[in-house]
Amino acid sequence: MKVQKMERPVAASDEGSCKTVMSHICDSLDEDPTSPKCVAIRRHLEECDACRDYKASIEKTIEWYREYDAPLPEGAHERLMARLGLEDA
Amino acid sequence: MEESKLIERAKEGDHAALATLVKKYEKTIFNFAFKICRDRDKAENTMQETFLRFVKNLKQFDGKSKLSTWLYRIVVNNCMMDARKRQRRPFVEPKDDERDFEERFVADRLSAPTATVENDELKRVLDEAISKLDPSYRVVFMLRDVERLSTEETAEAIGVSEPAVKSRLHRARSFLRNEITKAFQS
Repeated sequence: MKVQKMERPVAASDEGSCKTVMSHICDSLDEDPTSPKCVAIRRHLEECDACRDYKASIEKTIEWYREYDAPLPEGAHERLMARLGLEDA
Repeated sequence: MEESKLIERAKEGDHAALATLVKKYEKTIFNFAFKICRDRDKAENTMQETFLRFVKNLKQFDGKSKLSTWLYRIVVNNCMMDARKRQRRPFVEPKDDERDFEERFVADRLSAPTATVENDELKRVLDEAISKLDPSYRVVFMLRDVERLSTEETAEAIGVSEPAVKSRLHRARSFLRNEITKAFQS
């Protein structure tokens, strides 16, 4: 898979490479999608398979860690309240 | 009752108000401690230590930050201290150099896109990847991406600048993604 050169740079001062987009993709995940930076990134993602795959895999990674919950162990609530002296509260 | 009123009552010694606050946050704090410590016993101990400090220092809480952010900060301090003490092998501090960047592209796409966290193999891979990551990067990833705190709240919880949060987050995400990809390739 080859790294493509950006046709529409994120900003005029940027070098216009996938590296530039990569460094901003992460920021863009939770940012205002209508901002000029995100619009430029979205345009680049439409054209660059590598950046698109990378973004999808980052999002999948985050999703997995969000879903990986640990329920409170049995009796943990009672042990906590006892340690805090709040059993009767 | 509003949280601010519960806090005021708890500060005045109202045990029922204090218990309500503890009940409200115990699951969140246990879950977050587990995600940082990666061990259920340590997570429960951290939860207890966090609420003990919460009770002890409640009068100092000025309400300028959210109570949850204050609690997260206690967990982070506790877990990071513990992680450094028990460190058996060096943690990885991800770098953002050109070579790593190029490697990301030649690597195959992230495998097993349909896997769920009910899958034990995936859990093992996620545990192993996050355990390798330097705790100072791990907490940023957990607070910002998993607990969905803002950049500002994350910076406040761990006492670093917002640009530092963004930089660590970018590197932590890349590192974890690459570790998971490598694990599925092997």
